[in-house]
Amino acid sequence: MRQEDISEIWFEYEGTPLKWHYPIGLLFDLLASSSALPWNITVHFKSFPEKDLLHCPSKDAVEAHFMSCMKEADALKHKSQVINEMQKKDHKQLWMGLQNDRFDQFWAINRKLMEYPAEENGFRYIPFRIYQTTTERPFIQKLFRPVAADGQLHTLGDLLREVCPSAISPEDGEKKNQVMIHGIEPMLETPLQWLSEHLSYPDNFLHISIIPQPTD
Amino acid sequence: MEEDEFFGEKTFQHYCAEFIKHSQQIGDGWEWKISKDCSDGYMCKTHFQIKSGTVVSHPGTSAYVQTCLPTEEALELPLDDFEVPETAVASEVIKYEYHVLYSCSYQVPVLYFRASFLDGRPLTLKDVWEGVHECYKTRLLQGPWDTITQQEHPVLGQPFFVLHPCKTNEFMTPVLKNSRKINRNVNYITSWLSIVGPVVGLNLPLSYANATSQDERNVD
Repeated sequence: MRQEDISEIWFEYEGTPLKWHYPIGLLFDLLASSSALPWNITVHFKSFPEKDLLHCPSKDAVEAHFMSCMKEADALKHKSQVINEMQKKDHKQLWMGLQNDRFDQFWAINRKLMEYPAEENGFRYIPFRIYQTTTERPFIQKLFRPVAADGQLHTLGDLLREVCPSAISPEDGEKKNQVMIHGIEPMLETPLQWLSEHLSYPDNFLHISIIPQPTD
Repeated sequence: MEEDEFFGEKTFQHYCAEFIKHSQQIGDGWEWKISKDCSDGYMCKTHFQIKSGTVVSHPGTSAYVQTCLPTEEALELPLDDFEVPETAVASEVIKYEYHVLYSCSYQVPVLYFRASFLDGRPLTLKDVWEGVHECYKTRLLQGPWDTITQQEHPVLGQPFFVLHPCKTNEFMTPVLKNSRKINRNVNYITSWLSIVGPVVGLNLPLSYANATSQDERNVD
């Protein structure tokens, strides 16, 4: 290829442009979970799909997006109090820990974002996004509390019944969908607060994929 | 953070409905769009602006002729425009779309916008930035959270430009506090949009402010 023909790089799988600002595990669960690894994607150097993808001019754009998600997650969990109290160097440490795959460096700061006041039973609201390829809307995100008025912990099933009822098949019916996080199907009885603390992605969101049950 | 500066989605929808009522009265073009799954909606407006640029003799200079800006802006047009040979002045029409959505995470409205030429070519962040008035640029350059970034539209899933919402409460709180002090109802959306809109070329006719106090009188 000639240098002048090369423009911004972008990735695609089976005709779908891949959103770089989504976690790669989420993209795989949503689009290719039934296929064997390694995941084969196509790299493009021309015809950037302006209507579908955000531009990614530099690594700074990735950092800015990641921090923006962290901020939003904390707005939901703690009214932004925890993240706003942190210094710039703490924010930098979160990003560098993620970028350089330094678990301890990342969690030294991230553990503060997983705490909640002793008098509460969990976060204010749970940061989550539910993805389905069958809808025009890119994801469902709503306010949802981890604890009910009577003090009972809400479960993954409670969340789905409230914000995405089509995801769950009736009890006696055939299972139509898989509810997937990080490539596994957690039990619907799992408390949402626990999932948020232990199964969130590094951006502190639970990214949940609803995909058709494989027929094999 | 004070609970009463936040509002819920129902309140957002109410203020938007009032805003659109007035928009319809004056033909300002705002509409309410419902998402395909009908679970929520947003306000939107499309308008067209003419961008004229001088070519060759003054590379890099371009003047925005924006039909909705006050006359001070129009005076910024370089006089050279009238001396340029006929073929050198190119006029292009730019289509701007403005969407007002509700952010449940920050419990405030958020302004999304995108711009493209009539052939569909989108404006880049750089192009958009050039259209921002000088007096706003300093403020925007101060912090990453106040700046314009490209984000995915939460309902359409397409790239839009966004003014980051996390500082909204900072500038809206004094507005709401003051309106309570003088015991006058304020349409949050009208006040908010009159503050953030001009930064990205969206100006509200003054009659919106009078519309709010009219409603108040009629209710009594």
